[in-house]
Amino acid sequence: MTNRSLKPYLEALPYALLLVLIVGVPIATLITISFWETDGLLLYPAFSFENYRELFTSSLTLTLYLDTIKFTLLTLFFSMIIGFTCSYFLVFFVKSLKVQIALFLLCTVPFWTSATIRMISWVPFLGKEGVFNSAVQGIGLTDTPLEFLLFSDFAVVLTYVHLFTLFMIVPIFNSMSKISPSVIEAARDAGANDFDILINIIIPLTKTGIALGSIFIVALVMGDFFVVRIMSGGQSASVVSAMKNEIDQLYYPQAAAAAVLLIAMVLIFVSLILRVVDIRTELAR
Amino acid sequence: MAKLDKGNNRAGVSRRSVLKGGTATLVAGSGMLAAPMVWANNLKDITLQQVGPSYSVYPDIAAQASADLGFKIETQGAWTDALMARVVNQPETVDVADLEFWALSKVWRSKMLHAIETSKIKNWDKMIPLFREGKNFDGSDASRQGILPYEVLYVDGPGETSFAGGATDHATLVPTIYNADTLGIRPDLIGREINSWAELLNPEFAGKAALLNIPQIGIMDAAMAIEARGDFIYGDKGNMTKEEIDRTIDILIAAKKAGQFRAFWSSFDESVNLMASGEVIIQSMWSPAVTAVRTRGIDVSYAPLKEGYRGWGIGMGLMSHLEGLKLEAAYEYLNWILEGWQGSFMAKTGYYSSVPDTAKAALSAAERDFWYEGKPASEDIKDPFGGLQGSVGLVRDGGSFEDRIGNIACWNTVMDEERHMVKRWNEFISS
Amino acid sequence: MKFSNRSLAFYLLAGFFALFVAFLYGPMIIIFVLSFQGESGGLTFPMRGVSTHWFADLFASSRYGDLGGALSRSLILGLASLAITAVTCLFAGLAFRNKFIGSSVIFYLAITSLVVPGILLGLGLGQLFQLVGLRPNWFTSGLASHLSWTLPFGLLIMFAVLNRFDGAWEEAARDAGAKYWETLKFVTIPILFPGLIAVALFGFTLSYDELQRSLLTVGADNTLPIEIANMTQNVTTPALYAIGTFTSAISFTVIGIAFVAISIIQKRRN
Repeated sequence: MTNRSLKPYLEALPYALLLVLIVGVPIATLITISFWETDGLLLYPAFSFENYRELFTSSLTLTLYLDTIKFTLLTLFFSMIIGFTCSYFLVFFVKSLKVQIALFLLCTVPFWTSATIRMISWVPFLGKEGVFNSAVQGIGLTDTPLEFLLFSDFAVVLTYVHLFTLFMIVPIFNSMSKISPSVIEAARDAGANDFDILINIIIPLTKTGIALGSIFIVALVMGDFFVVRIMSGGQSASVVSAMKNEIDQLYYPQAAAAAVLLIAMVLIFVSLILRVVDIRTELAR
Repeated sequence: MAKLDKGNNRAGVSRRSVLKGGTATLVAGSGMLAAPMVWANNLKDITLQQVGPSYSVYPDIAAQASADLGFKIETQGAWTDALMARVVNQPETVDVADLEFWALSKVWRSKMLHAIETSKIKNWDKMIPLFREGKNFDGSDASRQGILPYEVLYVDGPGETSFAGGATDHATLVPTIYNADTLGIRPDLIGREINSWAELLNPEFAGKAALLNIPQIGIMDAAMAIEARGDFIYGDKGNMTKEEIDRTIDILIAAKKAGQFRAFWSSFDESVNLMASGEVIIQSMWSPAVTAVRTRGIDVSYAPLKEGYRGWGIGMGLMSHLEGLKLEAAYEYLNWILEGWQGSFMAKTGYYSSVPDTAKAALSAAERDFWYEGKPASEDIKDPFGGLQGSVGLVRDGGSFEDRIGNIACWNTVMDEERHMVKRWNEFISS
Repeated sequence: MKFSNRSLAFYLLAGFFALFVAFLYGPMIIIFVLSFQGESGGLTFPMRGVSTHWFADLFASSRYGDLGGALSRSLILGLASLAITAVTCLFAGLAFRNKFIGSSVIFYLAITSLVVPGILLGLGLGQLFQLVGLRPNWFTSGLASHLSWTLPFGLLIMFAVLNRFDGAWEEAARDAGAKYWETLKFVTIPILFPGLIAVALFGFTLSYDELQRSLLTVGADNTLPIEIANMTQNVTTPALYAIGTFTSAISFTVIGIAFVAISIIQKRRN
């Protein structure tokens, strides 16, 4: 039976090898460099906590993390609601499997256009003289254009939701479509109404999908600098957008230290999610 | 090409035929022992990889050069920050690098760039004095606020990591294109004359001003405004002390909190959209962005301000891993660049050539008058791709080449206190 | 089975779904429309006539860099990422059904790869390749950087696919004497097939659209997203939208092919 116990190792081997090589090694380098010193070009091997000291003593770090976490939670909230509701509709209210898959693919299509272009496309829509403002003014709802629509935190969250909700829909849809109809039927026979079924059966059985989607969103939003830079009109910064300025100027050790902190924060976030939902026990038979 | 050939220096032509024909002169001169015929055959197999920002590296230029020179030049667009990282960390992926002058103060020390022998650049002496000698056209010393290209243009010789500070026979880059930047404004929405950088911080334009979100450049524009407003005088706007940085950022944070800024743009198209849509009516801007807004029929002024312009420049550097025939080919390419075709091409995108004589010779009289002389357009003005830039009668903002380039108050830069500055800038952006 | 079809809940949910789709497509439709701007039109409304000028311009003018080459490189990278991601993630997902030493390390390494700033990872990968004597190249180090992005997604999607996957089928096949590969081929893969398609498509699109990690790993040739990002520095014509429309059209084609393939396979299985 050694064959049986070796199986998971052999199955995981190609993935693990690839990952260790293309992620593990660069990350190890990153951690090493975070203790080094630089003069803005050359790196000097050292074992200095100066980069971390600077990071932890700067009030900027806290501001940036608070802003970034704010964006993350808002995006999580909206994408979760949208992702759950849409999946719920597709799985339980659309009868034909073909229509279901077609509608599901419909949600994924925009994801196939360049993210840069999808993001920029909000500009002509939300701007002072954009489509939305013209429409609102046209029907006389307001006289002055709504300026908060573009180059604001609103625009940033809107874009995140637009770009990333798909990452919530896919796992939730997957989890939900596996709920056995007989379970629901049985509950209904026992006198449960739709709401009871939603709360007591569907949500608990979908939590893996929700957890997976949340991991995606946390990682994507916390790792972003591009959206926050463009859509806030540069008015807001995030952890990575501030890091980007250091990377651009070749201050790698400082950026590496900031990256290590960010990775630690996200891993903590993710382990909290896993504490609520242990994804892996859901995989075991 | 007929026009160009006339402008050609005879020595250059014969030099090229030497390369193409592969005579013994070259072989002896380069100290190589290979047989001449091998050189000639190998020449067409040479490929030079040129990397640089998309406003400097155009495939059309490379295609023309390849056709003229007999070897291949391939281009790749890359942002300046990515290019700096590649020059330092992945030098073999680049042969010719189009770098901004301020970038030199960072990357030259890496020894990844070749010290260019100015004697091999035949139009070197025709280059404008601003680059070659650090002097304005009238002979006065050019402003040294920020990084004047002249300060980083020369080194004492190969292997030197510090700059010479004066003219020598080894150059870090061959200067190619440059321009003078100022504020872009929407005259139709402002309705009065704007003649000072101070207007950028004028509360009259609250919520309608924008600044560039590249810390090194943005802070210079802000400093021009602060100094013009009379808050205080900087020792060197291009190399501020910690205290000056703090004061500047504090003023900016206060202005931001008061709602002065509508946006901080970081890519060129953003500035175009901001201006064209009327979101912003006064902002730091780049020349081609102004043109892009105008082609939509929207009036933008890029007028000179009394304090002067902020200047910038790009040059072509050769990587130090180039050797033998490939290095010779790279020199040939540099020489070709200064011969006029590239200069005339870039002129039509709004940028000046470091050897204006050859560029002007390659332009039509009407184009020359418009782009270089500051005269009203006598015919429709087109960009290098045939797109309409302006109709008859249009005059270039700021007037002639000498008026604009002779009036540069400060240069794009990297400061000694750069890390402090970037950190404070991040604070400003996230405030 | 399903909930009652024409209830109030149905209409409310259908309305919500329709709104979401409108939200997804609204800006895209603006792009599509604006990409057909007339010759003198700009990046914003109003339209100044209707033309295909900007599409023609995209391919005729060299001001946009090497778009054709960049497109083919991105497609090749996308397909390679698709294949490697689908295969390795399938097995890794299966492995994760059992407890094994090191599984947490792999999981958290995957999460780390999701969040590490792309440029830093790209820089590290570029250095790694140089260290072992390989010059950074779009297909070697470039592919590696794309995999560092697609593999974590693939694994997590695989988790969703395997969520409450009933192992009894495999058990039954094994009891009937089927070997590992036979079970995989005739039982596991057919059951998981739609999910595997999802993993594969994720692998493709994430790679096709990757920018940050590619910047310092592609060596001397750019991928499409890098070319597009460069364009935003000096192109301010609707050509920018034309390329958006064009790349979307390619995406529609690929997704259409995938959809047809799925329905053919489903039909054959029935």
